[in-house]
Amino acid sequence: MTADSPRLRLGIVAVVAVSLFAALFARLWFLQVLTAGEHELAAERNQQRVVPLPAPRGRILDRDGEVLVANRASNVVLIDRAELNTLEDGEAEAVFARLGAIVDQPPSMLEAALADTTLGPFTPVPVAEDVDEEVLVEVRERQSELPGVQARQLAVRAYPHGTLAAHVLGYVGAINAEELDAAGGPDAPAGYRRASRIGKDGIERAFEDDLRGVDGEVVLEVDADNVPIRELSRREPVQGDDVVLSLDLEAQQAAEQSLAEGMVKTQRHRDPESGEPVIFGGSTVVLDVKEGTVAAMASWPTFNPADFIYEITPEQFAALTDPAQGTPFVNRALLGLYAPGSTWKLVTALAGMEAGLIDPLATINDPGVYTIPDCARGCGRQNAGRAAYKDVDLRRAITVSSDTYFYDLGARMWQQRERLGETPMQDMASLLGFGTKTGVGLPVEAAGRLASPAVRAAQYEANPDAFLSGDWFIGDNVNLAIGQGDVAVTPIQLANAYATFATGGTRYQPNLALRVQDQDGTLIREIEPRVGAQVELPAGARDPVLDGLIGATQSADPKGTAYNAFAGFPHEAYPVAGKTGTAQTGGDRRDDALFAAFAPAGDPRYAISVVMERAGFGSTWAAPVARSVLGSLSGLEEPEAVKPAAGGSRA
Amino acid sequence: MQTTAAPRGLGAVLRRDPTAPWRHLDWPLLGAALAIATLSLLMVFSATRTSLAEAGEDPYAQLKRQAAFLALGLVVMAVVVAIDYRTYRDFAAMGYLTAVGLLVLVLTPLGTEVNAAQSWFQLGSFQLQPAELAKLAVIVVLAAICSSGRSPLARQRLVVCTAITGLPAVLVLLQPDMGSMLVLVAILLGVLVVAGARARHLAALVTIGVLAVVAMFHFDQVDDYQRERLTDFARSGKETGRGSGFQGEQAETAIGAGGLFGKGLYEGTQTKLGFVPEQQTDFIFTVVGEELGFAGSATLVVLYGVIIWRVWRTALLAKDSFGTLVCAGVLAMLLFQVFENLGMSMGIMPITGLPLPLLSYGGSSMVTTCAALGLVLNVHMRRFS
Repeated sequence: MTADSPRLRLGIVAVVAVSLFAALFARLWFLQVLTAGEHELAAERNQQRVVPLPAPRGRILDRDGEVLVANRASNVVLIDRAELNTLEDGEAEAVFARLGAIVDQPPSMLEAALADTTLGPFTPVPVAEDVDEEVLVEVRERQSELPGVQARQLAVRAYPHGTLAAHVLGYVGAINAEELDAAGGPDAPAGYRRASRIGKDGIERAFEDDLRGVDGEVVLEVDADNVPIRELSRREPVQGDDVVLSLDLEAQQAAEQSLAEGMVKTQRHRDPESGEPVIFGGSTVVLDVKEGTVAAMASWPTFNPADFIYEITPEQFAALTDPAQGTPFVNRALLGLYAPGSTWKLVTALAGMEAGLIDPLATINDPGVYTIPDCARGCGRQNAGRAAYKDVDLRRAITVSSDTYFYDLGARMWQQRERLGETPMQDMASLLGFGTKTGVGLPVEAAGRLASPAVRAAQYEANPDAFLSGDWFIGDNVNLAIGQGDVAVTPIQLANAYATFATGGTRYQPNLALRVQDQDGTLIREIEPRVGAQVELPAGARDPVLDGLIGATQSADPKGTAYNAFAGFPHEAYPVAGKTGTAQTGGDRRDDALFAAFAPAGDPRYAISVVMERAGFGSTWAAPVARSVLGSLSGLEEPEAVKPAAGGSRA
Repeated sequence: MQTTAAPRGLGAVLRRDPTAPWRHLDWPLLGAALAIATLSLLMVFSATRTSLAEAGEDPYAQLKRQAAFLALGLVVMAVVVAIDYRTYRDFAAMGYLTAVGLLVLVLTPLGTEVNAAQSWFQLGSFQLQPAELAKLAVIVVLAAICSSGRSPLARQRLVVCTAITGLPAVLVLLQPDMGSMLVLVAILLGVLVVAGARARHLAALVTIGVLAVVAMFHFDQVDDYQRERLTDFARSGKETGRGSGFQGEQAETAIGAGGLFGKGLYEGTQTKLGFVPEQQTDFIFTVVGEELGFAGSATLVVLYGVIIWRVWRTALLAKDSFGTLVCAGVLAMLLFQVFENLGMSMGIMPITGLPLPLLSYGGSSMVTTCAALGLVLNVHMRRFS
């Protein structure tokens, strides 16, 4: 057989043909036998789309079942950036153009919405909210022309009372990477997905597990254009449980309105450099001392939780956290730190009684000025306005807010530290709950600051450059005795300390919720009162201190510091025991106005604190706000606009 | 059986003359072809019934048309078989010129553009693809030229063959239809190899071909979508979106998802949900793969193997070298188309628009393949006469 033999040449053809067929068989074997499993999975994934059905969250109700947070249906158009990124050049622009025509927005707006970096890459970005039903239908019908675009009906939060109790309620937003990790990731039993919404703050976050419910899902069979063919399976979502708060709608409304009226009148500050107006805020907390719960909690300025229904813009968020605009986002009731000023005299008085330094009936002479004993420099102190109160006993000292009486107490405590220990005041403050979080159960709360010789020495040790000295001087004790110097309290701590005195020593960790119940109102879980500490108040202290506090609001002679603010108040029916305070918190030498009280004095039901930053005298500004709130709570006063009290003083 | 009576009718003739052509019909070849064509009806129906029904049309519409194409193909095959293949040699030039003429005409506004290729004449509700006719014409004319000389094939003749193939190949490429162009090149190589071209001549030819392809890419003479498909192949279908890699990836998924025994007729989800584009035509094999599994697809490949084997055998047995070379051309055409089509469906060849002979939906391809097989049957049964 020669090289030219047709047989041989056909043989070559045969070899080629056999090789090619062998290759085909090998590949067929590889695809259909060796790797069939993964292709089967891929085909299954191809044809199935799991569409989550987010569970509507449970509602948040006030103590009487008044709805504070509910749900409503919203038609939303979203864009899945991950899917959009797979499109070819120019196709995304075409999608924007088509979608823009449907939702009646310029395509550039849609693109801008997508630039939002606060969402993860897999979280669909809402580009049009609360659109008409027809828009949803059109987007779905034209799904093949709109890759990456989703049209959904979402259950979103509704706030029938607007901004009411915004700081307490918190808000809901798209889950972020850290939250998803904390929940164990997207496939964990917790059931959070990348697009899940989660309580971000306030009750929404604190009661997330009760409120969220159980998501459902629909498994759809889809064709190559992602158009659903039929439903393969469906699991209905289960709505979350309702949380019944201890808040009372009317008390909350009274607190917010009174505070806002008062705060608006105090806004007169400008930035010293730019000359632009600077907003200072305030807060008021009302505790139910019998129940151990929060009846009202207000922080001004406030924000609108409805702004968080969809994604908040970076500009909006910046405004909410801008100090010049009063950082509306911050719940001052739990996070505001203030020098307590004369409201602290409750602590000093009780500490003095406990130490045996006070005979309630004994008087000291208050000439209006005071010189610190054993003192080298800067030893002069004076009463507010250098007022000379002459002979003052404990009752009178509280009623008129004699600084000298308490300076003297503070000095004597330090002088007798061998016998009393270095920290009788701090110890009493701790018993009343200062220096630690009240544990009210919202996600963030400040512990406040309570300095002592040991704390100061430790601070100096840790950072010698930041402090002049690590020593504690007698002057520090004198300052602390009137709630100045190295002490900072939160409004809720202040209210809780007065509540503890009001109950005769039961210090609660205030609850914000009473119970969790399902949609039929069936009880799921009762939230029991939590007693943080049972404090034994010093023997014989209650009556004189109570008298002094009642005098502050009622006594005409000597004139109580809150007498003017409570002029005309139904004292007989609803006696109020309170204390004004004026203190410098910032370095700007402007006064914060404070007031703390409980009522009715004989059988206390409520304790209240009011703090108004940079407002001026506590007697002028804070006491009228408290009076307005207590007037509403008593049911005895028709609400009228809060106005500053006449004849106020720093005390 | 030889009895007394005088010969009566065709049956008697057959019985009497052992060399009569009808006695030597290649049944395995015909049987394999008919088996594939029958399967084609099922597969085309499976691939089209859902989308037709969704569009509110008769779900059997494409099945019926394919059945009609098959019937037409069988008639053409019968006609081709009936006339002694040596007669075609005399008409080779005429057939070739007609094919080239039609290829020129299809580029004029008389032709119709489908899928970005000007490849069709619209005749009523049917479409005629002149490139298919050109394949047959080139086979016959190359066989005619190469069988007239001595072996080894002279260089001049090789050049002539190349030129003769090159003209329709360039016209086809202008449509552009790269798949058909490659089939023409495969036919040329097949015929030249069997005709006895020298190895170095073939090597030179292949080198020139490769250079031409490189030059085409370099001077941007390839359409974007073709370039994309070819380079997607190089990227082994890692695409996840709806780019051109999507088609190949979905095809592989469909075939692989079939597993050993398939999902069952009409049960393929990739098929009925439309994940594989062009499924009743170029990607028909994915329906076989998904619904009939390895068992079905391997059987199909074996049937193609039987056809190729019988064509090869016929080339070997042919009475004259014209017959051998016609078979070689048909073999090259079928082998290339089958390998390229199955290869692209399974992701081992680049995606080019080539129908799978006998299985893909489409009249031109069906009739051409039937005619080509008719030629081979013709050569086979006339090997003694």
